[in-house]
Amino acid sequence: MKASLRKRFVKKVKRRVPWVGHIVNDEKIAGDLNVPSHNVRIQAWEGSICLTCRGSRMLCGKPVCPAIVKLYSFIKTKKAADSNQMYGSSPPGIFVGRIGYPYVYAGPLVPPVLGDTSILDAPEQWLGKTFDEIIRFRTSLVRGKFRVNVKKPFQNRRFQEKTLEVALSKAPVYTEVAFKKKPSDKFFFDGTVQPMGPSAMLRKMNVGNFKTDSRIEKAYADGDLKAESAVLDLYLNGVPVSGIQRAFSVGAFGLKNERRMVPTRWSITAVDSTISRSLIENEVKGKPTINEYRVYEYSYLGNRFMVLLTPSSWKYEWIEAWYPGTVWNPAARDIAMGGDWEGYRGRTTYASIGGCYYAVRLAAAEFLAKERRQAGVIAMREIHPSFITPLGVWINRECVREAFRKDGERFDNLTDAMTHIGSRFALGLKHWVASSVLLKDALYQERLTKYL
Amino acid sequence: MFRVKISNAKLLRDAITAISTLIDEGTFTVSPEGIKLRAMDPSRVAMVDFTMQKTAFDEYVADEETKICLNLSELLKLLKRAGRDEAVEIQLDENTGQFVITMRGKYVRTFRMPTLEASEDEVPTPKITFNAKVTLTTDGFRQSLEDVALVSDHVRMETDGEKMTMTARGDIMGANIELLKGSDALLSVEAKEPSKSTFPLSYLSEIVKAASATSDIVTLEFSTDMPIRLDFKQTYDGTLVYYLAPRIEVE
Repeated sequence: MKASLRKRFVKKVKRRVPWVGHIVNDEKIAGDLNVPSHNVRIQAWEGSICLTCRGSRMLCGKPVCPAIVKLYSFIKTKKAADSNQMYGSSPPGIFVGRIGYPYVYAGPLVPPVLGDTSILDAPEQWLGKTFDEIIRFRTSLVRGKFRVNVKKPFQNRRFQEKTLEVALSKAPVYTEVAFKKKPSDKFFFDGTVQPMGPSAMLRKMNVGNFKTDSRIEKAYADGDLKAESAVLDLYLNGVPVSGIQRAFSVGAFGLKNERRMVPTRWSITAVDSTISRSLIENEVKGKPTINEYRVYEYSYLGNRFMVLLTPSSWKYEWIEAWYPGTVWNPAARDIAMGGDWEGYRGRTTYASIGGCYYAVRLAAAEFLAKERRQAGVIAMREIHPSFITPLGVWINRECVREAFRKDGERFDNLTDAMTHIGSRFALGLKHWVASSVLLKDALYQERLTKYL
Repeated sequence: MFRVKISNAKLLRDAITAISTLIDEGTFTVSPEGIKLRAMDPSRVAMVDFTMQKTAFDEYVADEETKICLNLSELLKLLKRAGRDEAVEIQLDENTGQFVITMRGKYVRTFRMPTLEASEDEVPTPKITFNAKVTLTTDGFRQSLEDVALVSDHVRMETDGEKMTMTARGDIMGANIELLKGSDALLSVEAKEPSKSTFPLSYLSEIVKAASATSDIVTLEFSTDMPIRLDFKQTYDGTLVYYLAPRIEVE
């Protein structure tokens, strides 16, 4: 390339677009977004509608701009953690990334505050909170990172042991971290990514006095206990799923030489799947079936969950319907539906729809196990545009759990139950039936009992 | 007292495999005449009706009728250890209630497995008048089911006494298979009146796949919108029959 050409090219790139403060026409938003440039750097994906919209034109069809909601709390956290070192009470929380597996970034989650921060990493307690609150919980945690080979975490013992201590702690634990650089000030102006706080590479880490949860500590100390049994024992002993998942992710369970760190995202599904499978095999199958059709319902943050229980042997289906304008269905005019199912004998492949399948399966298995009954479970979720940003699979688990805590409606036959579901959902019944395997099966498949 | 000996272990293994496609635990009724089992799958959509006469065994001793309930997948694990030419002896240890399996080959192996609590309810067979009867090679039937499984999860079977057609319609694809009188796969076809019925492939394919190891010829009997009866002809003195409920879609 000629020197002159290159020069011109460089010039072009350097031209800055003073977009936030100057172009946004809503005064309040413009004022809020007009942050000093050294504090937060705002970026957007090339070609994204957020670039055109800038939080004021509502181009994505959502009632509130998710990117701006996230940006507010990001700026707040960033202000509090704008230095090379910080301290705070970890809720306790840790995060293990999945990018680059098996060489991943792992480390503690520390908020820039002291005190009882336990709610920040306990999705079990989040139900009923507003969007702003949940996004604040997520973004207020600053993530310290170190690089580690998941199979050989001891190679990075300095940080691994401290992170493990945080993960095993029962209550919020005082944590001091020093970073190589200030936590990143990059913020992606985008509605589809999960809210996340700033992160930085660790230089030093210190953990204050802490008490471990004796139940988790016992499983950690037992080098002959398989991870699967550890997870089940802890669940049956009443340890919350998020606590088990945290210890699972940091590699605290399993045979002594087989232990490894597990990316947070995978560990959530691994724990959901392991517990629900065992509940189904041991506590649900073989129990008497329920005698009627039941419908449970719960709505939260623009999601409507409906669960239909049918008087049959165990089987399970999960269906989601995304309205146009929601995160996974931004552009289309039609409603996107997806789901997966399993029969009495379960499944051998990973559910195509992802981790939410297993999170809801846990909620359903837990309920049936408590009732000592068996049933066919068809769980449905309708997502409206007011659900502005994905928050994680916990929302499925906790909402379905909540639905089961309420008294369900009971029906003598399938038609009445289906009519009731149809009347509660905005989306027509025929769409649900068309995308469901089990509903079609319940409606069209005859039983031999009729002919005996 | 119950004790049997069978020199062809594969026979027993294939029969148990065929049963285990529908159920996890099976209650066998053992009588002086032979062994039988009849059970429905947990969803009550399909039924297996299995008998093995005492003449199918090399030695058969059973002095009274008893019920033995077993975990079939555990049983299969053990039976899979029997080699090609090994004889298998099975007996019920009445003192411990355990099922004892002995294999005699190069060396003698004895396995013990627990029996489970037998279910008391007798399952009757469905009462249906069948209007159509079609005999096929098991292999031909299995191939056709594999074909239709590509496009849909259920298959419509239809016959007018001259030919047998199997059709499947998926969301965007379709399949149509015709078996004419005189073709290699179709051995005989007769129908009192034209009959058509739809069945779930999830069951049908599994049943035929598992039973095809035990049998070369299958006789199908069905009527319009009624359950189908699949009779797999066995090489020994015994029967392997399945019933499968139809799928009735109101359009």
